[in-house]
Amino acid sequence: MAGEDGNGFMIVGANYRRHEVMAKRDGVWRRLRKMPLFSIALLVVIILGCLMARFLANHDPGKFYLSNLSQPPNSEFFFGTDSLGRDIYSIIWYGGRVSIFIGLLATCVITIIGVTYGCISGMAPEFLDNMMMRAVELAQSIPVLLTVLLIVSIMDTQNVVTLSLLIGSVSWFSLARIVRGEVRQIRRSEYVLASRCMGASFMRVALKHLIPNFVSAIMFVVISSVSTSMSMESTLSFLGFGLPAEVPSWGNMLSLADRALLMNTWWVIVVPGLFLVMTLLSITAIGYYFRSETNKRPSNL
Amino acid sequence: MDAFGPKKGIFPSGMGRRIGGRLLIFLFMMLFLSVIVFYVSRLAPGDPLEAFYGDATQSMTAPEMEAARTRLGLDGSITEQYVKWAASVIQGDFGISLRHKRPAWDVVRPLIGNTLILGGTAYIVVFVLAVILALFCARFEDSLADRLICKIATAAFYIPTFWLGVVLVLIFSVNLRLLPSSGAYDIGKAGSFSNRVRHMILPMIVMVASHLWFYAYMIRNKLLDEIRRDYVLLARSKGLGRTRILITHCLRNVLPTIVNIMAISIPHVLSGTYVAEAVFNYPGIGALAVSSAKYHDYNLLMLMVMLTGVLVIISSMLAQSINEIIDPRMKAGEEAY
Repeated sequence: MAGEDGNGFMIVGANYRRHEVMAKRDGVWRRLRKMPLFSIALLVVIILGCLMARFLANHDPGKFYLSNLSQPPNSEFFFGTDSLGRDIYSIIWYGGRVSIFIGLLATCVITIIGVTYGCISGMAPEFLDNMMMRAVELAQSIPVLLTVLLIVSIMDTQNVVTLSLLIGSVSWFSLARIVRGEVRQIRRSEYVLASRCMGASFMRVALKHLIPNFVSAIMFVVISSVSTSMSMESTLSFLGFGLPAEVPSWGNMLSLADRALLMNTWWVIVVPGLFLVMTLLSITAIGYYFRSETNKRPSNL
Repeated sequence: MDAFGPKKGIFPSGMGRRIGGRLLIFLFMMLFLSVIVFYVSRLAPGDPLEAFYGDATQSMTAPEMEAARTRLGLDGSITEQYVKWAASVIQGDFGISLRHKRPAWDVVRPLIGNTLILGGTAYIVVFVLAVILALFCARFEDSLADRLICKIATAAFYIPTFWLGVVLVLIFSVNLRLLPSSGAYDIGKAGSFSNRVRHMILPMIVMVASHLWFYAYMIRNKLLDEIRRDYVLLARSKGLGRTRILITHCLRNVLPTIVNIMAISIPHVLSGTYVAEAVFNYPGIGALAVSSAKYHDYNLLMLMVMLTGVLVIISSMLAQSINEIIDPRMKAGEEAY
């Protein structure tokens, strides 16, 4: 950390901190290696498989093969059949479409509500902001599952869209709080002030200045809400509050788990569950990649 | 108004005023909660009368139906019904469970204990383990063990709770026949401690696995921030050991955060008991909530929402009070440092 000047004196700390700025930029290969390549590959395979379900499936996913009830995996039924005689291998691909679609749609709902609510609350005057945040805290203090049970018991039957709306409408609270915190930090900055002085509307300020500034901060929450929504869908379907039985989804397949336990047919439980868990973990790993690195100061300990 | 002058209130002393204020907030929140839940539940399709009497409603005459509605508190507008309901709740009457055809409180009461045992034990285990794990990870930050724990625990957190439960039942009950798969105790062995413990092992594993990392990670991050403070450097330079600094200095500073996290976590852990109870057919509030939602039993659901609300609000207030004892700087109403 010392440099020598022309007169032979040591200047202590002359290039202190400088080498950090000059640190070599990561090359393409190193940056690529930091990415969760395995998770991305796995996710791509699963999504492609679901999109091409029609070509992959070798049986009709809705058909009951009554002469083949609870068959273990074999060459005809690759993942076996469930207690109703349906081919698990074929349903996996069709069911994946539904599960992933619900995850994405619910995430859209969460993002739209959360960002809008957070922006309004962040830009609002003190008392309104306080009130909006108290309301969120109150809503957050009730177990999510209880809220969902209450709403589900009121609704008649679910379809893909209503279920996504339901999941989205009970899970946006933490996103709204993060957005609000970020907006609070930048609302007083000069460019927001300048923009408002020039008469920009709330929408314009939000779209041009607020959202681009916090988009990296909420990336992790948004991506991992895909996996929490999918997880919620499967939990609801398992408890019997999800989609009607004839719509294939990974959660719905697992709702047969009770019967599978009695008959000890492990493939009915393990196969859809593994697909679900692999997807969830891949999405989470990708989300972690987007999580902004916390400042890596050296530890004092 | 003089901001520094003594504030006047119903309660003379500071502590009393805070408790009084909190009680008011508590009552207000309960009122708010009950109104929302009540109105929402009456928006439901399907006649509660039908849920109660089943097909018998079709053979009832109009006056009979009126009488039945009055008896179940279903006559009048929603607002009138609410007022009537609230009045009877104050007297300790939560209405009749539409499904069990008994007073809702009688249905819920025997199950509260079961849920408290399961949820409470899981809660304690989760937080004891979370603090230990967080301390370990902070002490050996970025070591192989730390990274390994982070990876495994994150995975455990994102695996759906119910699936983990089902797989555990598949392995340990169905195939290895080591542990019972459902219930809180075998028939006729309600008093047997070891029998209860055996029934609780699997639900406990599921609850702990699905909650532990969420909290351990939060505490770990707090600790990592804390060990970058200057006082740690001072303590190191005066020759204190690393583990000792972590436990006697850092952990102490993080304690208020941990207490806060513990208070916030109660609804989350309660949600966990719902799923665990449903998977393992454990006779508790959660399993009851699931089944009463299936049967549109609103009186029962109402009671459970209210119970949960009371528990959550009380615990958050308790956390605030404990924090004031740990750290006098955190007084309600005053700016936190």
